[in-house]
Amino acid sequence: MFRRNRGRGNYSYTVARVKAKKSLLLKEEDYDKMLMMTVPEISRYISEAGYSKEMADLAGRLSGLILLEHATYINMAKVFSSILRSSTGELYEMVSAYLDKWDVWNLKVILRGKSYGLDADGIREDLVPAGRLSAESLDKLIALDTDEDILASFGKTTHVEIPQEIISAYKSSGNLGVIEDFLDKVHYERLIKSISLTSRPSQLFYDYVREQVDVKNFETILKLKAEGIYGEQVTKYLIRGGRMIDDRTLALLANAEDIPSMVNEASQIDFGEEVKAALDANNVRDAVLGLRKYERQKAKKFSRLYPLSVIPVIDYMINKEYEVRNIRVIARGTESGLDRDTIKGLLVI
Amino acid sequence: MALEGEAAGLAAIGAGLAVGLTGIGAGMGEKDVGAAAVGAMTEDRSIFGTAMIFMVIPETIVIFGLVIAIIALFAL
Repeated sequence: MFRRNRGRGNYSYTVARVKAKKSLLLKEEDYDKMLMMTVPEISRYISEAGYSKEMADLAGRLSGLILLEHATYINMAKVFSSILRSSTGELYEMVSAYLDKWDVWNLKVILRGKSYGLDADGIREDLVPAGRLSAESLDKLIALDTDEDILASFGKTTHVEIPQEIISAYKSSGNLGVIEDFLDKVHYERLIKSISLTSRPSQLFYDYVREQVDVKNFETILKLKAEGIYGEQVTKYLIRGGRMIDDRTLALLANAEDIPSMVNEASQIDFGEEVKAALDANNVRDAVLGLRKYERQKAKKFSRLYPLSVIPVIDYMINKEYEVRNIRVIARGTESGLDRDTIKGLLVI
Repeated sequence: MALEGEAAGLAAIGAGLAVGLTGIGAGMGEKDVGAAAVGAMTEDRSIFGTAMIFMVIPETIVIFGLVIAIIALFAL
């Protein structure tokens, strides 16, 4: 009865913090207001909605859309890092494993940025230093000359060994996708391993991650099919460990010759309804948007269960990520002159 | 009517247990409430008053224990 559960984690403290933070997130009516604004007005609006420090810090050297995009990412990184710092025990382990995806994201941004010849500042604008790698460590990675050095240094810090055959495949084809898919695979495998299945909430989180794997696999199949790739070629990019799509269905989806012929198999999956119309219309963008909306609905549903667990923390991080994504979509859409209905259709609310 | 001898001793033990155990129970409850209150106040300092009220709610259990202890010691 009196055993101190130091290893279990400080759920009450962290959950109360994220619940308070969640109440300050932008609501649908905020997005409606922002849809009527110009980019400088959106910048002012979000400054009053919790992004003021980052906007003020960066306003000296950046402006317009770039300022808004960079400030939202920096804000998100700071918020996630503060959640991680305030967690302890197994909660810290799970949050940390979940946030590792930003290390993978940052490495992808650096490799892509380098391959397109962007300078350090250009690359930095898209970084989200919310994982194990701090902004300084990321700067060190950016300063390295070759991709091999970057991958070796990344591997040392995050303990992700990238096999030689993956590096050789990248070198021979020049396609970064090979490395990116490998990193995604490693991330999900590690995340699934990190979840201790000792309680019902952990089991729910485990199932949620496995569903994310399903969504990710479905998205990969869609994107490859849009480029005319199917069959064995697709299978090697898929991540194992999903919950809703078994190996047989995964193989059938991968072997379908085009997107509309995936409808039958897709209808047996939980998110089948969300993507059906888009698959029929051969529209990858809408299908991916349908998947995002499904993910958001799923997160909303499971956030109401088990108040003292990792679930509200993950739910907040998902919502924060969507908030940042929505702000960026509105700002970009407004800047490029898209009409309001189209932009609203792209939001995940 | 005051208790005497062995009965008075048992009543004193009972009073001690009533206050002690409710104190431990309140402490266990306050651990989570207090942590959550501090967490919420970190984000929003204006809720100090509300958080304080929630903090002291588990303390009421100790008052029940104290009442039982007083009854055991003086009213039996």
